[in-house]
Amino acid sequence: MTRDEIKDLILEIIEDIDEDAEFDGLDADAPLRDQLDLDSMDFLDIVMELRKRYKLQIPEEEYPELATLTSCVNYLEPKLKDA
Amino acid sequence: MADYQLIIIGGCLSGLAAGIRAARFGQNILILEQHSLPGGLNSWYFRHGHLLETGLHAMTNFAPVGDKRAPLNRLFRQLKLSRKRFVTREQFGSEIIFPDHRLRFSNDLSLLVQEIAREFPASGQGFLRLVKEMETYDPFAPAPWRSAREYLSERLADPLLENMLLLPLMVYGNAEEQDMDLGQFAIMFRALFLEGFFRPEETIREFLGLLIDQFREFGGEIRFKTEVAEIVHDQSRVQGLRLQGGEFLTADRVLSTVGLPGTAALTDWPLEQKRYTGRMSFVETISLLPESRRHDLSRDRTILFYSHSNSWQYQRPEELIDPSWGVICFPENFQGIKAKKTFQLRVTNAANYDQWRQLDSGAYKKEKERCFKESTEMVAKIVGNYAQDVVYQDSFTPLTIERFTGKGAGAVYGSPIKIKDGRTPWENLFIAGTDQGYLGIVGAMLSGVTIVNQHLLG
Ligand SMILES: Cc1cc2nc3c(=O)[nH]c(=O)nc-3n(C[C@H](O)[C@H](O)[C@H](O)COP(=O)(O)OP(=O)(O)OC[C@H]3O[C@@H](n4cnc5c(N)ncnc54)[C@H](O)[C@@H]3O)c2cc1C
Repeated sequence: MTRDEIKDLILEIIEDIDEDAEFDGLDADAPLRDQLDLDSMDFLDIVMELRKRYKLQIPEEEYPELATLTSCVNYLEPKLKDA
Repeated sequence: MADYQLIIIGGCLSGLAAGIRAARFGQNILILEQHSLPGGLNSWYFRHGHLLETGLHAMTNFAPVGDKRAPLNRLFRQLKLSRKRFVTREQFGSEIIFPDHRLRFSNDLSLLVQEIAREFPASGQGFLRLVKEMETYDPFAPAPWRSAREYLSERLADPLLENMLLLPLMVYGNAEEQDMDLGQFAIMFRALFLEGFFRPEETIREFLGLLIDQFREFGGEIRFKTEVAEIVHDQSRVQGLRLQGGEFLTADRVLSTVGLPGTAALTDWPLEQKRYTGRMSFVETISLLPESRRHDLSRDRTILFYSHSNSWQYQRPEELIDPSWGVICFPENFQGIKAKKTFQLRVTNAANYDQWRQLDSGAYKKEKERCFKESTEMVAKIVGNYAQDVVYQDSFTPLTIERFTGKGAGAVYGSPIKIKDGRTPWENLFIAGTDQGYLGIVGAMLSGVTIVNQHLLG
């Protein structure tokens, strides 16, 4: 997957988790949690969706890597390069 | 490989919520329910062409669409159910009625604040401080038991006001007698006073249908009329479940919603039964009245919490029931619910399980009627006489609750000691629902979700 595809994937997963998600004006370098009002349960869902779709195992201590859209892409790029 | 990745005992609110969560991300999830209907304590039945709900006075924790942090909306996200399409009907307003004081409250906290300032001016400031503390209190952070009564008395310094506030919070969610753990107090304070009452537009049947559809949509399987007879295990692990009738199903993990005494009976868990069996149980009476007989309170109140004595105590009565205090609910009194030819009046009174247990079947019937009369007289002092207008009436006792849900001694709120992390002596057997610590409809569902998130997704 390209960086853009990964970005779209993350947004699509968030949209799927949260029917109220609003992406207008989303800052890719600021925490998703604050901008979208997500909590740790929602982050768990992002992790679980990635696992369901791509068999990706993300250990709990690496959840902080998913903090912003850019950090998600950086973190997932090597893991999803063949996906 | 085991027959199932996860088997859930109980097709009740916690079991269904856990099932949806587990099936969303896993495979091969089975729910076993002993009855022909789902819902456990909160189910329904038909009499005289009426669908009657067995629990549902109101759901707690009201939150408008869009408030993402609110427990109700988090719950919907976790279950991947659309909150937008779920129509909620808010309460008209409720009232706490004691001999010399009355306090109204609604889903807008300012009403209760005003009422307290008027009735108990000396405690007004203290109540505001309490609200501030409750808004930020984290009831889920591990903490030792702390007396809610002491906490209240430090802030309000008025035993009568303390009792008035405790009555609704205790009767809707306290397994202990007399006092309440501060954490549980905080959960209930938020659920009732900060967030408030609502009900689904339709009945509990449609709500449970929504949950079952979602569970099946994610590939889950549910079997009704299937009673678990034994949880088969060795020293450290559960292998599977033996069903009534002999069938044996293997499972990687098992989640039980049948409470601690119930789960102990299915294993050979040497729990000290007495400590884990709650003493608070209730008799609930449903009366159907012609719409034309509505007046005053039955028109514009949703739930009345009453006590005919100022020195009210939350405890198991000595007698079959204690009608001197209780809950009166008008389950149609929610905004936007259409009136029918009849309306319901439901009354809940504390009851003594052991006393009911001792009756033979003839006496049981007779006592049920006598208790209905006694309760009706006490309730009439508040809402006016209605006994002569009743077109249909039914009541259930602690024995009914025990029979239909497997809750030992009919203890609606389960064990006074909760197992918050949901663990048992067996590494792959977990507890959710009432005895894990969250109570009520929304609470039981959150419990199912939380335990799956903590232990059963990996
Ligand atoms: C009269 C009354 C009124 C209430 N009103 C309200 C209200 O207005 N609002 C509110 O929020 N809450 C209310 N409640 C409380 C609420 O119903 C409960 O807190 C909640 O439903 C508890 O759910 P649970 O998942 O913990 O378990 P339960 O509902 O106790 O479910 C246990 C399930 O396990 C099944 N089971 C037991 N043993 C076995 C076995 N061996 N094999 C297979 N299945 C088994 C049972 O059939 C049942 O379905 C009320 C309760 C009562 C009794």
